[in-house]
Amino acid sequence: MSTSTSTRPLRRFLLALSALCALALTACSGTADPGGSHGSAGTGAAYKLTAKTPASAGELDSFTWSLFAEPTSIDYAYAFDYPPNTVLANVCESLLRWNPDLTTSPGLASRYANPTPTTWVYTIRSGVHFHDGTTLTADDVVASLRRNLDPKVASYWSYPYRNVKSVDKTGPMQVTVTLSTPDSTFNKYMAASPGTVESAATLKKDGKDYGNPAKGVNCTGPFAFSSWKAGQSLILNRFDGYWAKTLRAKSKQVKFVFLPDATARVNAFETGEVDGGWMVPANSYKKLGSSSAGKLYYGQNTTVADEVVNNLKGPLGKADVRRALLMAIDRKGIIKAGVAGAGEVADSLVTRNNWNASPKSTVDGLLRELPAYPYDPAKAKQLAAKAGVSGQKVVIATSPLDSQTTIITQAVAQAATAIGLKPEIDTISPDKYTALFTDPAARKGIDLFLTFWYTSITDPLDMYGSLQTGAFSNYGKWSNPQFDAALSKAIGTSDPAAHAAAAAKAQQIAMDELPWLPLYTEPVNVFLGKRITGVQPSIDYLYYPWAAEIGAQR
Amino acid sequence: MSLAIAALRRLLAMGATLLVTSFLVFSSLYVAPGDPVSFLVRGRSPSPAELAAIRRQFGFDQPFFVRYWHWLEGVLHGDFGRSYLFHQSVGEVISSRLPASLLLVGVSTLLIAVVGIGAGALGALRRGTRTDKGVLLLVTVGAAVPSFAAAIVLRSVFGVRLGWFPTVGNGSGVLDQLQHVALPAVALSVTFMALVTRVTRTAMLDELGREHVEVALSRGTPRWSVLRRHVFRNALGPIVTVSGLLVSGMLVSTAIVETAFGMSGIGSLLVKCVDQLDFQVVQALVLLVVAVFVVVNTLVDLLYPLIDPRVAAGGGAR
Repeated sequence: MSTSTSTRPLRRFLLALSALCALALTACSGTADPGGSHGSAGTGAAYKLTAKTPASAGELDSFTWSLFAEPTSIDYAYAFDYPPNTVLANVCESLLRWNPDLTTSPGLASRYANPTPTTWVYTIRSGVHFHDGTTLTADDVVASLRRNLDPKVASYWSYPYRNVKSVDKTGPMQVTVTLSTPDSTFNKYMAASPGTVESAATLKKDGKDYGNPAKGVNCTGPFAFSSWKAGQSLILNRFDGYWAKTLRAKSKQVKFVFLPDATARVNAFETGEVDGGWMVPANSYKKLGSSSAGKLYYGQNTTVADEVVNNLKGPLGKADVRRALLMAIDRKGIIKAGVAGAGEVADSLVTRNNWNASPKSTVDGLLRELPAYPYDPAKAKQLAAKAGVSGQKVVIATSPLDSQTTIITQAVAQAATAIGLKPEIDTISPDKYTALFTDPAARKGIDLFLTFWYTSITDPLDMYGSLQTGAFSNYGKWSNPQFDAALSKAIGTSDPAAHAAAAAKAQQIAMDELPWLPLYTEPVNVFLGKRITGVQPSIDYLYYPWAAEIGAQR
Repeated sequence: MSLAIAALRRLLAMGATLLVTSFLVFSSLYVAPGDPVSFLVRGRSPSPAELAAIRRQFGFDQPFFVRYWHWLEGVLHGDFGRSYLFHQSVGEVISSRLPASLLLVGVSTLLIAVVGIGAGALGALRRGTRTDKGVLLLVTVGAAVPSFAAAIVLRSVFGVRLGWFPTVGNGSGVLDQLQHVALPAVALSVTFMALVTRVTRTAMLDELGREHVEVALSRGTPRWSVLRRHVFRNALGPIVTVSGLLVSGMLVSTAIVETAFGMSGIGSLLVKCVDQLDFQVVQALVLLVVAVFVVVNTLVDLLYPLIDPRVAAGGGAR
């Protein structure tokens, strides 16, 4: 599924374990007008998106970067979460590249073509070297892509490959992917983890150990894997044989350290022990925003905070109750208290920039059409009363991840009470919370749980695909034939206008039925200590070599 | 010869205990909620055929006893299987995190021995004085502080407020690692220190009150030599016994302390793997902890006659 889920920086004392893959860290303001200022109505706290931080003045020997959790593996097939993707984005490259402005351009494929609706032909870039000095060939691409189809590998990214019939070498430097049915999203995924290329020889040699701390990886990116000490640090060194001269790394080394505790991370930024990090905890925006130790920047995001309706057999099985609940949630209040005003009330389950392929007027039009759920507890109460669910219990799962999660959970519980339900908050450990996203047994007895869901490609289908009947991430087993039909049509249509129209229809149904409740969007954030600068703040840091652009501030 | 036979009997009992444990650990996974397969197919809607393939690949389709036998066979060869979560052999996963935990337990053991035995002896020798009362007060307080509470207090006071110690991570290099382990070790040993202090004090008072000690002292044998030859030596028995329990208890408590201080050791690994259904690692860790417990206690049993000659092999005290 395209989306990960991941946990946000965890803020807690007892459970300093970070969850692995479960709720996407927040971020995201759907509004994509870099440089514009936003203030959530009534919160007064404005924030500004920065497309590019000041260019660096020169090279660096090394900088230290914090991750909120240690990756369990850096095999691209299992890179489905912030920690591994943040690292891998600088080490391994894909056929295409997802840019900070969320456009897609050629990567390890110098050209790509779509001669028939079910074939994609990739011309492999020549003169590219792996970190071990060997040269990239079509064989490496075939071996790397095929792993996503191999049940023995059990890639987390098999969803984008669900319509792939075969991956073949069709020329010395040419690879053809044949689809069983037209799929307008497949090529877009080639800019993310599913399009990653690793040396076929390395994959063969390392076998099951590929990507673990002992073996690491051998790719083509601006940084090469150097060492990984379990529980302590992961070090990358600049790769001098990198093919893309404009993205040659400005620092000789990046040292990633794992700091699960949000307070500890903020302290490390303040003391200069750590030079920077993505995803600072929301309750430190103020402190870091005015810190003498560095600067806090905000950037484009594709993340929406949602409450997943996990149980459609309980009181939330009726659409009216879901609508009532959303209307009773004080979303503006959550943004103010939870993320210091750095966010916007979500109008759908995806951010606006996911529609970048369509003209602005079209997007304005389709967003105007959407059902809106303004905060109105009185009306919500009436609506719920008609549904006859008064006094029924709803279990809201949460985890001591950070202040934001706690505030959202309390607000949702309040809303449930306001419409006559009996909320029960079930607090579980971060790692157990992660399991909610993968294990049906872990979700048993839970009505609602929170996710911060980002898209890995610039396409709303990356999100809405997970609500199709039978989709893995369709946790509540919601099923709507019209939605499925609209979605299938959108997936099968490449023409941008027709694609957007079908996707918009699916979105319309989802927003009317509310299988998930959209809460808010917020920007990506990144803290840069005073030694470093040059990064482009954007959610594409999960797949784009952001660390290569970081150099010395003076 | 009876000593050798007793020792052999103990070793056999140890083997039997470990075997029973291994069976219990392995079968407990069948009653644990959650299906490891669902973890393996994360992010996918697998077809029934794919699911079957995964089950076959990991041997989930075989009968319980066959799986247990395969696992046991592996364990006897030192192969604990592979971790789903870390894509690494379980041995590697554990051995890369073991040093941090051993350092933590080692430093804690040292603290417990020095502080616990020292304070206990001080209390016993100054019986009834203010010093003794102070020791008793500290023991009462210490025994009541669980390690997670100690961890929170220590972290916020010495780590965050005063900034004397790092609050998170393992550190690298000898000095840095010791700095990182200082607070966790104190948090881990508070309760155990109190226990050892109490045991030491009681055991020494017992010995001090014995007739032969009083006689020796009244005859003018130098106080220090009496203490060394009679009191300390005889009091050592209960102290060693309780220490055996402590080492294993500490291994379990590391889970709490490591988690609180963001250290990566086998304790935090256990918590993580239980939550994430990485059963191969959980099995190995539980077996490891039980093995340490059993081995340490067997050693204590075997050493006891050497510490306290009054204990005949196989017999009770005196």
